[in-house]
Amino acid sequence: MTYVQAFALALLQGVSELFPVSSLGHTILVPALLQWHNIDRASPSFLAFVVVLHLGTALALILYYRHEWYAIVRALVASVVRGRLSDDREERIGWRLVVGTIPVGILGVIFEHPVRLLFGSPAPAAIFLLINGLVMFAGEALRRRQHGAAPGGYKPIEALSYPQSLMIGFAQAFALLPGISRSGISMVAGLLFDLDHENAARYSFLLATPVILAAGLLEIPRLFAPDAHLVLLEAIFGGIAAGIAAYLSVAFLMRYFRSNDLRPFGWYCVVVGAISFVLARKGVIS
Amino acid sequence: MRVIAIALAVVFFVLGILYGLGKINFLTESGAGHAHHITHLVVCWILALLCLIWARFQGSPSASMR
Repeated sequence: MTYVQAFALALLQGVSELFPVSSLGHTILVPALLQWHNIDRASPSFLAFVVVLHLGTALALILYYRHEWYAIVRALVASVVRGRLSDDREERIGWRLVVGTIPVGILGVIFEHPVRLLFGSPAPAAIFLLINGLVMFAGEALRRRQHGAAPGGYKPIEALSYPQSLMIGFAQAFALLPGISRSGISMVAGLLFDLDHENAARYSFLLATPVILAAGLLEIPRLFAPDAHLVLLEAIFGGIAAGIAAYLSVAFLMRYFRSNDLRPFGWYCVVVGAISFVLARKGVIS
Repeated sequence: MRVIAIALAVVFFVLGILYGLGKINFLTESGAGHAHHITHLVVCWILALLCLIWARFQGSPSASMR
């Protein structure tokens, strides 16, 4: 892997992990489209590289939401020490994040590897990317049907019920499929439970943080694999680039979703998914 | 409910140990060897911890899932 490739993959990870366009799908499709046959996605050194990219992305998310995470963790610890729940806003958000993380934690451990083996090639990733776009269009259409064009009628994150948090968590688990975006699918679920775009995005990013961090931390042993040191510099360089890209992405998206919706990303996923599928079927990418 | 929560915590804790020791391989067949068992151990212990927290909330007379 060259430095240019490492930099490109790091930017791709940092941006596509948070934009609702599926990082997993893009890390399959883009190297295939660019004919980067020198990258062996199953090699220990590449897997070690991916671990560092995940850690860089997770640290960027924690840094961006550092005040919120501090308040949430403090409120959670206080409620456990107290032994009862309160109406504190951060505590309510915190327990909803815990409940929402359970489905993806369990399903991820069970299904992540078999799903990647089954669908980890360009054609399925392209189809799921297309489906991801259609899900975003459907989510926006349902939201408009619920709320109309007029603003109002939305609720804050802390007003989500526990079953709704659990459902958003289950929705997030669909992101195990390459091409389905973690932030996209959980945002759509949030919109359907009456969050506005900004709060749906914020909840989605907060919900994604422990999952991305855990994905990195649990794979840390890969950094000590025999061949991992071969990409040490590229991994450090890539982790920093992914972190910066993720930080800028979340800052941009939080501003974007104050007044915009998911449809542009839906169009992107449908178009790129359809083109990639045709190219995969014709054998141009493999 | 408190008894159920504690019982579940014990079950998850023991399951985690068994995964860690490699004594059970349920739902790990496709994994990448030992690292995958450690992942199962960590997830089982996190679930055990959550069950204990759930039990603690059930222990308070004024507790309710708000």
